[in-house]
Amino acid sequence: MHFMHISEDTILLLYEIVDVIISGLTNGSVYALMAVGLTLIYGVTKAFNFAYGSFFNLGGYCAWILIGIVGLAGGYFSIFLAVVPVLFVVGYLLEKVLVAPLRKYEDWENKVMMMTLGLALFMDNLYVVVFGGRVKSLPPILEGTLEIGQLVFTYLDITIFFLSIGGILLFGWLLNNTRIGMAVKAVAQNPEGARIVGIPKERIFAATFAISTVMVGFGGILLSQKYFISPMSGGAIMVKSWVITAFGGMGSIRGGLYAAFIIGMMEAFVGWGFGMSYGMIALFILLLTTLVVRPQGLMGKS
Amino acid sequence: MMRKFALLAVTILFLAAFGGTASAADTIPVGVPLAMTGAYTGSGQDYFKGIKMAIDEINEAGGLLGKQLEIIRYDSKEFAPEVVMQGADYLCGQKKVASVHAGWAGWGQDVRAYGKYDAPFFADDGSQAAVDVFREDPKKYYNIYQLTDVGVEQAKSMFRLLMTLPYKYPNNKVVIINTDDSWGVEVGDTLEKSFKEKGWKVAKRETVPYGTNEWGAILTQIRRIKPAIIHVEIPSAQEVITFFRQFIKRPTKSILSYGWGITPREVLQNLGKDADGIVGEMPSGLPGPKAPNPAAQAWIDKYVKLYKHQIPAGSWITYTAVKAWANAVKNVGDAYNFKAVNKYLKDNGYKGLLGQIKWDKDNVLRAQPGAPIVHYQVQGGELIAIYTDPPIKPYGNYKFIVPRWIK
Amino acid sequence: MSFKRMATIMGGTFGLVAAAPLFVGDIRFIMHILIMCLIWAVVASCWDLIMGFAGIFSFGQVAFFAIGAYSSAIFSVNLGVPAVLAMLLAGLFTALIGVLVGLPCLKLAGPYVALVTFGVHMTLMPLLRGKIGMALGSGGSVGILTIPPIRIFGYSFSSANLVPTFYFALLLAMACTAVILVVIKSHWGTAFLALKDSEDFAMSLGVSAFKYKLMVFALTSFLTGVIGAFYGHYIGMISTRMLELDLFCTLMVMVVVGGIGMFPGTILGAFITVIANELLAPLGTYRAMVMGALVVILVLLLPNGVMGFWLKPAEAEAPAA
Repeated sequence: MHFMHISEDTILLLYEIVDVIISGLTNGSVYALMAVGLTLIYGVTKAFNFAYGSFFNLGGYCAWILIGIVGLAGGYFSIFLAVVPVLFVVGYLLEKVLVAPLRKYEDWENKVMMMTLGLALFMDNLYVVVFGGRVKSLPPILEGTLEIGQLVFTYLDITIFFLSIGGILLFGWLLNNTRIGMAVKAVAQNPEGARIVGIPKERIFAATFAISTVMVGFGGILLSQKYFISPMSGGAIMVKSWVITAFGGMGSIRGGLYAAFIIGMMEAFVGWGFGMSYGMIALFILLLTTLVVRPQGLMGKS
Repeated sequence: MMRKFALLAVTILFLAAFGGTASAADTIPVGVPLAMTGAYTGSGQDYFKGIKMAIDEINEAGGLLGKQLEIIRYDSKEFAPEVVMQGADYLCGQKKVASVHAGWAGWGQDVRAYGKYDAPFFADDGSQAAVDVFREDPKKYYNIYQLTDVGVEQAKSMFRLLMTLPYKYPNNKVVIINTDDSWGVEVGDTLEKSFKEKGWKVAKRETVPYGTNEWGAILTQIRRIKPAIIHVEIPSAQEVITFFRQFIKRPTKSILSYGWGITPREVLQNLGKDADGIVGEMPSGLPGPKAPNPAAQAWIDKYVKLYKHQIPAGSWITYTAVKAWANAVKNVGDAYNFKAVNKYLKDNGYKGLLGQIKWDKDNVLRAQPGAPIVHYQVQGGELIAIYTDPPIKPYGNYKFIVPRWIK
Repeated sequence: MSFKRMATIMGGTFGLVAAAPLFVGDIRFIMHILIMCLIWAVVASCWDLIMGFAGIFSFGQVAFFAIGAYSSAIFSVNLGVPAVLAMLLAGLFTALIGVLVGLPCLKLAGPYVALVTFGVHMTLMPLLRGKIGMALGSGGSVGILTIPPIRIFGYSFSSANLVPTFYFALLLAMACTAVILVVIKSHWGTAFLALKDSEDFAMSLGVSAFKYKLMVFALTSFLTGVIGAFYGHYIGMISTRMLELDLFCTLMVMVVVGGIGMFPGTILGAFITVIANELLAPLGTYRAMVMGALVVILVLLLPNGVMGFWLKPAEAEAPAA
């Protein structure tokens, strides 16, 4: 009898650990989706975009307008179809109008950081003015839950998981196997060399910004279904993406992917074992120790 | 050259647009410091709606002592100490307002800042810290009025409700989750103490930072504990919505108590009927959806017509505070005789829509029949008042319904 | 820019400010704003020193400011240390933290440094609110609401008597910015410029990047800590609300307005930003939006901030390409 009792406890504990692992995987897929665009911009253009989190919410708000106000038919498929070109144009113009003119300065990297910080301040408060301070919600792309014994998954989480990983793998493939992808990589690795062989560097920079804006906006549409759209949340999303990018190595997409899952898992286990309020402290310690050993992050090139 | 010119032009434009704002002499200025930017904008907007409604009513009825009231707003941003102090100096010192109507205002910092002046200051800090500051020097802080009872008392009321519900708890285990700010900690500590005194087991107490939206790690422990009650005290919509969505995936047979966290209106806007069964409270509330008397019902109808949504926390009591102040001024006959206005407020309180309200010796509007703590349950996607406190008693014909995930 | 010109601009600004109480001495609201301007001028100048001159993209300024304010408050409230001494101790303590933060940063690239230093800012809030903070006397999420004012020979400098407090703040701000000025124009300043131009070359000449960067971390965090301590004693209360993003953004605007690496522009930047912020206050929710737009426009159109007006064409930062 006594033996039975212990084994039941052990099984419960096992279930709990499996649950925490699932929570970590969910975190990880969310983070991967958040961070991949940021690492791309930095890798290719060496510009650091602090307004990144605000573009995340831009995607969410675009979808909200299309569903709530325009009443677009065709579900999320038509929404993605409608929003992607908007985000692309916004990202392209952003680079051309606001970032490119700064490149002529010696300390342009710092100036871009300052400029994009201002842009984030502008955009976040614009959202408050236009949409109000209250959070908005999007309907889930897929309703319902999947039950496997004791374990329950929402279809939304499953969708996020597969779209996140699938999207990033597809993106990596495009980067390695298409003309434009290779041009982007060439610029990232050697901007001068790329120019000599006739790749229009300026246009690649702008295109990279545009692609990254599309990716983060896409992430925004998807994740807002789970976490809702809050006008001032851009900063928190930015910081999360920043930590993941830095931890994985800025510019390394694969590094970002690993980092997202490591951090997601760590947060789940720290929250479970020590308490949710220790998440941020643990994250910082992890980041610091990693950077002391590897200043360029997990997979970054020094 | 063009650059300099452009900058010059921008500067001049700014100065021209905002330099020359002066208030007319034949109005009575009323200060309204609320968060208009930053993380607390949402709550600031709700408080403002109540204040504005009252002031518009007074103005439409011919003003106060024959003068129109003029709202002077101040952005409390995110309540940094010097911003709170600057707000007091701006409104009371500079604009010479006759009274100040705030909502969340600084949790003690505001008492210090506005206590330097004499104009009546109404805040909804709901915090013991603010009362502790008041108690240091009640004479100096005589112009500070709190519109809701402190977190400790609200938490005791929540506990009373949970113990009063016509429901037999299957066990004596409770899980308490609260935020890491003064409100959350105050409520969490009080609940923990109350439960322990009653012989309950606090199986888990978790303090979480704002922005916690992934609850898997906590929920898995809750599922093992199988508590009879889960209390979540987070005064921010996003967190409580995500908690519920993830909880309901695989619920435990627990009464889900959200405390104040049920009141931000997007909670129900987003969850709708899914949230049916959750209980929560609103301090200094106006019970509904059917109000206790025709006047209160008319107020609810007017509010809903005006702002197109249900009554959020804070709107009604800030409205009442404006009216209470105006009533005191009318009786004193001079908006700037602060000593007399404060004395009138303190001695007489005000007869509001639910009856007499009175501030206690700490200038706190303790829970009382005229401004009760209202306990709600979500039913049919709407907040239904099931109990009022004090004294704790069922409200109207509304009944507590055992949540569907327990049946 | 020459030492003389910098000193002239600083002297002129502080001189003008010093005369202000003659006209507005009895208007509390304006006196308070002026004192805050002086405080922010120091914090922003320190930020400029570390970012604009030393080229370290540190985001820890607000954190150091809060550490200074908290440590001084804790020293004086819990240990009964006189305020002036507590301020000095707070400065030293903040400098120590600054060095500890600086150490891992020195090998890192720009955005990484920004992240690590900002990480200090991010962790400070849960730390001060949590059990560790409470044990140290941070007052948790309530904050410390009874900080004694600075007393010298029985005379107290607090928000109750603003004019003397204003002059105290002015002297403190002048001392701090004078230190920054001297540093910029000394051997250090030259070393920074050399390091910024070409770290490899400077190091080959025997300029130790490590040593100088660590020293600049220590110095800026010391000054920021002292002025943060002053802030606490002046306002009489502090809370973790200081660490919300609002202050961070405002300081950033100051640096941009003043011109990055254009000391003493940040002193002007602090005054202009605070005044603009107050003038824009009637805009309410739109204010923060306008401030954001202003940063974008300024970075694009006026890369040297207001100092652009003082620079001779030859001194203006030449585009690299």
